[in-house]
Amino acid sequence: MATLRLALQLGWRNLWRNKRRTGIMLAAIGVGAWAMIFVTAFSRGMVDQVVRDGIRALPGHVQIHHPGFRDDPSVATLIDRPRADLVAALTDEAVTSWTSRVRVPAVVSSERETRGVTLVGIDPETERDISFVADDLVEGRFLESPEDKGLILGRKMAERLETGLGKRVVVMSQTPSNDIAERGFRIVGLFESELEAQELGFAFAGEEQVQSLLEIGDRTSEIAIAVADLEKVKPVFETVEAAAGEEVEVAPWFEVDSFLFSLHTMMDSFVYLWVIIVFLALSFGLVNTLVMAVFERVREIGLMLALGVTPRNIRAQIVAEALLLLVVGLVLGNVAAWVTLSLFKDGVDLSVVSEGLQQMGAASVLIPSVTLEDVLTANVLVLVLGFFASLSPAWRASRLEPVEAITKV
Amino acid sequence: MGIELQMAWRNLWRQPRRTWLTVGAMVFANALLVFLLSLQLGMYKMMLDAGLRPFTGHLQVQQADYLEDQKLRQSVPAVADLAETLRSELGVDAVSARGAAFALASSEERSYGVQVVGVDPDHERSVSTIPSLVRQGRFFEDGDAAEVVIGSLLAKNLRADLGDELTLLGTGHDGSFAAGVAVIVGIFESGLAEMDRNLIELPLGYFQDTFAMNGAGHSVVVQVDRIAEVPKLVARAEELLPEGQDLAVRDWDALQPGLRQSIQSDLTSGMFTYLILVVLVAFSVLNTQLMSVLERTKEFGVMTALGVGPRRLGRLVFLETALLGFLGAALGIALGLVLLAFFARVGVSFPGLAELTAKFGLPGRIYPQFSWIGAVAGPAFVYLATMVAAIYPAVRLRFLEPVAAMRTA
Amino acid sequence: MRRREFYRSIAALGCALLTASASFAEESAQELVRKAWDQQRGQTSVAEITMTIHRTDWERSMSMRAWTAGLDDALVRVTAPRKDAGNGTLTKDDAMWSFAPKINRVIKIPSSMMNQSWMGSDFSNKDVSRSTDIIDQYDHVLLETSEHEGKKVYVIESTPHEDSAVVWGKEVLTIREDFVLLSQEFFDQDGVSVKRMEAQEVGLLGGRPMATRLRMAETDQTEEWTEILYESLDFDVDLADSIFTLSNLRNPRE
Repeated sequence: MATLRLALQLGWRNLWRNKRRTGIMLAAIGVGAWAMIFVTAFSRGMVDQVVRDGIRALPGHVQIHHPGFRDDPSVATLIDRPRADLVAALTDEAVTSWTSRVRVPAVVSSERETRGVTLVGIDPETERDISFVADDLVEGRFLESPEDKGLILGRKMAERLETGLGKRVVVMSQTPSNDIAERGFRIVGLFESELEAQELGFAFAGEEQVQSLLEIGDRTSEIAIAVADLEKVKPVFETVEAAAGEEVEVAPWFEVDSFLFSLHTMMDSFVYLWVIIVFLALSFGLVNTLVMAVFERVREIGLMLALGVTPRNIRAQIVAEALLLLVVGLVLGNVAAWVTLSLFKDGVDLSVVSEGLQQMGAASVLIPSVTLEDVLTANVLVLVLGFFASLSPAWRASRLEPVEAITKV
Repeated sequence: MGIELQMAWRNLWRQPRRTWLTVGAMVFANALLVFLLSLQLGMYKMMLDAGLRPFTGHLQVQQADYLEDQKLRQSVPAVADLAETLRSELGVDAVSARGAAFALASSEERSYGVQVVGVDPDHERSVSTIPSLVRQGRFFEDGDAAEVVIGSLLAKNLRADLGDELTLLGTGHDGSFAAGVAVIVGIFESGLAEMDRNLIELPLGYFQDTFAMNGAGHSVVVQVDRIAEVPKLVARAEELLPEGQDLAVRDWDALQPGLRQSIQSDLTSGMFTYLILVVLVAFSVLNTQLMSVLERTKEFGVMTALGVGPRRLGRLVFLETALLGFLGAALGIALGLVLLAFFARVGVSFPGLAELTAKFGLPGRIYPQFSWIGAVAGPAFVYLATMVAAIYPAVRLRFLEPVAAMRTA
Repeated sequence: MRRREFYRSIAALGCALLTASASFAEESAQELVRKAWDQQRGQTSVAEITMTIHRTDWERSMSMRAWTAGLDDALVRVTAPRKDAGNGTLTKDDAMWSFAPKINRVIKIPSSMMNQSWMGSDFSNKDVSRSTDIIDQYDHVLLETSEHEGKKVYVIESTPHEDSAVVWGKEVLTIREDFVLLSQEFFDQDGVSVKRMEAQEVGLLGGRPMATRLRMAETDQTEEWTEILYESLDFDVDLADSIFTLSNLRNPRE
């Protein structure tokens, strides 16, 4: 214990014997640590957003549908309302909300234009917690019940149709027996979404209204389930799958959208890779600094050895010097990252390259996402790797021949 | 100069360990930059190929408003003749005429709205990969045959197979009702769900007959070998357009606006991370050179006293840095190229990449591309940063007091 | 005190009278529209029609023959020119089928194509198949009554029901006292006119006063229009039920 304290004291004092060199090295470590956290936060912010938006874009965390639904989402692939045992499984405490929806291709016509759209019949109360519609509503009101006769359109869609809030449009689709199903709906709300495809892709109406329009009784297209956090997806998925029965397909979000999932998992490997690359770039400078520090003090170290200081203590001293250097650098880097990231707290507007981002499914305002895990990963990894990097100079110093070292000019 | 160079070189090796560590930092950064930049360029080439080769081509001749509205009436008259003219005048073989319309495709059982494209059987192969992606059956041989090639997902949804008849229903060029019945002769699988679900192709002659096109089409598609040739060909094609038909030449950026932007946004974030790497290396060099100057204070003091001006001493420090940088660049590029040569052969892949790239119809492996810019741009930056880092140590020499300097231990 | 009560009862009486007259006007507007539509179609009818589609750069005409029964069933078959001859459309209730000899198929028009042009004209498939929506999907109010060439002309505003599958904000019909539909104008929900059908000529057809030449055009469009000319029209002809069947659409028995 005493040796450790001594080593730290000596290391700390040695560190400041060459203020300029230490300053430069601290700057390098600071920039490195800042870059690790800053870049990771931005990348994770982007990935988080893509994943979150992807899940909010409708699927939810777990979904139940007809086995043919994913290939052919239409009135031909419906499922029955959940039975009692499935409802019981859905009241699991990890499930924050679940909802049923009817989803069919439809055509919306105004006085002047006609556009294809996916008509989604929703139960507004439960839908609210799962998908983006309620949050992204910018004008008018949200639907009030499954019997609500109103329609919610994307703002861009309303523009393309040359219609607007309070106007009536006609929605047409097909019944299971291939008859025309059509009805007038009044637009009661408009939503705005970062992704154009969403605004143009969906129209929302009360589930019961859509069911009666399509003459499908109380059958529905899918059950979407939201859970408290991503960790809970798997257990909930397993429970639901067991309860759902053979004739339906149950899928977690990472199966429905393997793109999202691989993005999510790749992010973790990216964090490690990035931290290691930055550290390697730093390590040359770190080792160099230590080597120089040892070289400068050859005589002094020789003297210490001659006076009976054990090689172990010498090693501890050098390693302590390295770790102290890293700790101070990391503190500086972390503070800098914290300051810069809080400047970007509200997000960075990337609308210049928005079309490219849209293609990847990302929105054009990017909010960095700092996780304790990433910050710890960066700091711990740097300290651990730094420890190993300092071993070689420390070892060399401890193996100096006292006499030779003292007489060295 | 000769002597100075010799001196600089010898000075470098007075501390071989330190020099190697500094050079090592540069080699690491340079090799990484060469490899990553080439990997990125390889990925962009892949993205461009995947985005443009299946269908879009590098440039298209269209009616001026077609890009915006995509209306059937915005057609190119005598499209096959125009394609022939462009083929012979541009000196590019990969030129093909197309027509495009929306229609309802019905099998015995089901109906779906699809994009119908009329293609020239003799030339489509040169501008699109779809003919080679026909997994069952064959592509067209006769330009007027009542035959159709459809995507695999569409075939599945229509429950249709090779040899079945497909009924097409739409609006003709003159606004009349357009209908046709064609035999499915081929089923293609591009891996892009959107395309496999929505696209069907007809021989151009049959397309023109069905949609009352009277010899007109909607685009002439041109594919080039090198993307850099596109601007030149656009200019040349513009001169060749017939007068008074209100036609326009569109390059790939206009045809697929997201593509260039996603490359740009990726390149921007890539540049940012490279910049950080370069800065870290610069710190390393700064530290080394500053130490080596401070170490030699006494020596420099003697030289100054002997009449060697601080300017010359500064030059010496720069020369040393230049040699250091040169060594780092040469070894770094060499190592980077070795890595590149290896991975260009086997490709780079990591977990999740395949799922990620599948969304864009890309293969699960990235092959880095050798290019001069990729090999030299990174190291050039590192070299520049190195030289900038040498400014401070060199400038410090000017404030050297000969007598005081000589007295320092 | 008494006086106030007196005024109040007078006011109440006035209100009652006004309401009564309004409901009377509505009733008769409804009646007028129904009669005008009955007059056009009768119990059954057989007509020879020439349809001319005019565009800025071309114009073409088609001859056709049309059979109707009641307000729901109709069959139209093109007789000339040769390239279009045999093309047919059958509407029954809300559904619509098309037949083209070239492909020898009967095709049910899907809902998504109901707003598309019918045979390239300014009429949409919907205009053709659902032309009787006006009777059961709208409320009618008599706007004004005027005189034209010695005959009374009623101007009626028709507003679609909330749920009806009609995109228009309103339609304005002018109907002559002898139930000839003189014009039908379609307005968007801001009250801006979108398209207008107008009787160009009125005469006697099948013993009834009828618009013999009709023109449909977008309101701000003078260069593009579609004209329908009735060459002949017979009402209350004996028509077999088999006329309005898919097999007759495909293999004409008449």
